[in-house]
Amino acid sequence: MALQKITVYSAPGGPNPFKVVIILEELGIPYDLKVLGYAALKQKPYTDVNPNGRAPAIVDPNTGLTVWESGAIIEYLIDQYDKEKKLHYDGFAEKWQQHQWVFYQVSGQGPYFGQAAWFNLFHHEKLPSAVDRYMDEINRVVGVLDGVLAKSKSGWLVGDKCTYADLIFVPWNEMIAPVSAPTPEKWDINKYPAYKKWAEGMKERPAVKKTLELQGQIMADAQAGKY
Amino acid sequence: MSSQEPSITLYTTQTPNGIKISITLEELGIPYKVQKIDISKNTQKEPWYLSINPNGRIPAITDTFTDGQTINLFESGSIMQYLVSRYDKDYKISYPPGTREYYEMNNWLFFQNAGVGPMQGQANHFTRYASEQIEYGINRYQNETRRLYGILDKHLSTNKIPYLTGEKCTIADIAHWGWVASAGWAGIDIDEFPTLKAWEDRMLARPGVEKGRHVPDPHKIKEVLKDKEKMERYGAETRNWVQEGMKKDAKKPGQK
Repeated sequence: MALQKITVYSAPGGPNPFKVVIILEELGIPYDLKVLGYAALKQKPYTDVNPNGRAPAIVDPNTGLTVWESGAIIEYLIDQYDKEKKLHYDGFAEKWQQHQWVFYQVSGQGPYFGQAAWFNLFHHEKLPSAVDRYMDEINRVVGVLDGVLAKSKSGWLVGDKCTYADLIFVPWNEMIAPVSAPTPEKWDINKYPAYKKWAEGMKERPAVKKTLELQGQIMADAQAGKY
Repeated sequence: MSSQEPSITLYTTQTPNGIKISITLEELGIPYKVQKIDISKNTQKEPWYLSINPNGRIPAITDTFTDGQTINLFESGSIMQYLVSRYDKDYKISYPPGTREYYEMNNWLFFQNAGVGPMQGQANHFTRYASEQIEYGINRYQNETRRLYGILDKHLSTNKIPYLTGEKCTIADIAHWGWVASAGWAGIDIDEFPTLKAWEDRMLARPGVEKGRHVPDPHKIKEVLKDKEKMERYGAETRNWVQEGMKKDAKKPGQK
């Protein structure tokens, strides 16, 4: 039976919805991306979909379920649609390692990189101690990944293949270069060779490439005032 | 089979993230050993601990896996998922995988781990620990924490439910409790959120929460928050080791 398209809600910028899009592209699941402006995200009818008023959220007509929070959405998609185990392992130990890295991404990488972006790019005045705090945290988070990847024989976080636990990091990895641009002394990817190889390798995957191009297009449209 | 029995060691400190795990274990009635990690002495950055959790944060657990080998688990959210998936066969504090309720529980679990925890943590930092007073930082994170509390409060009140996913207390509730109980520490007045406050009290009345919150040390934040002088003293002590730890982290970004 053919799958019906899953509706994915996105903001006009920002990496989190594209974590979800990468998984949909990798699994070849049909979807319909709906980009909402920030005002629309904070009011009905969207807040009936996600009471938090943030993106992403999905509505899946195949199961009748609505899911929000990018980490919960990705776990849902893997559970429901990765029956061939293209992007995951279902052995018990690997399963928990995957969950662990998902939580590390959503609670460690995402929120802190996001704050670095705010203080380095958007805030109206320079607050050096706040910039330092979050640029240091980017380095710490990447350092942890680099240390683990350097020890991994396969170069992946879990097992011998690229899983959703790796892919979930891609959109925020991509943010480091633009976020650190105002403080180049605070970021040098060459300090983290295992991380660099891993992060750059994932960008070669067709699904990742396609998603990042789509994200770039949406952000360009947003700057042109489309949303 | 003996390897099916839990043989859990919990590595923890008296913090909102640490007590998520002890409360979960108490609610499930699982025996466990506790090893206290002294954050003020940077124990969490020692090599033996990094081999359990490369991130150098609490909580973490070790358990004997179904194959008889030890498994290391870190990230509070994934530890909670692990514990209920493996040991909550009667679904006392979770729902069967694949059900609608299961995914709804997961929404709120991630909401805590990716939203309330990090943002309230930043509010703590700028309100209590920062080396300089940055008014903007304080406001930014207190406002975001308040926004998130507002979502929880409204969700509970409009749906008229005692717990976040309905009639049953789940790991999604447990994940939030320690943070909501220390709202005042981040400068948030819980009285602004009456339904959430009632939920906090409802949770506290549960024997598992009462027992689990005092691990590895007594849970004192509520008393501290009632006493302004105590609060200042506690803040000053914590500020010192938080700043020391930050300096050490900044010096060695990689942890190879």
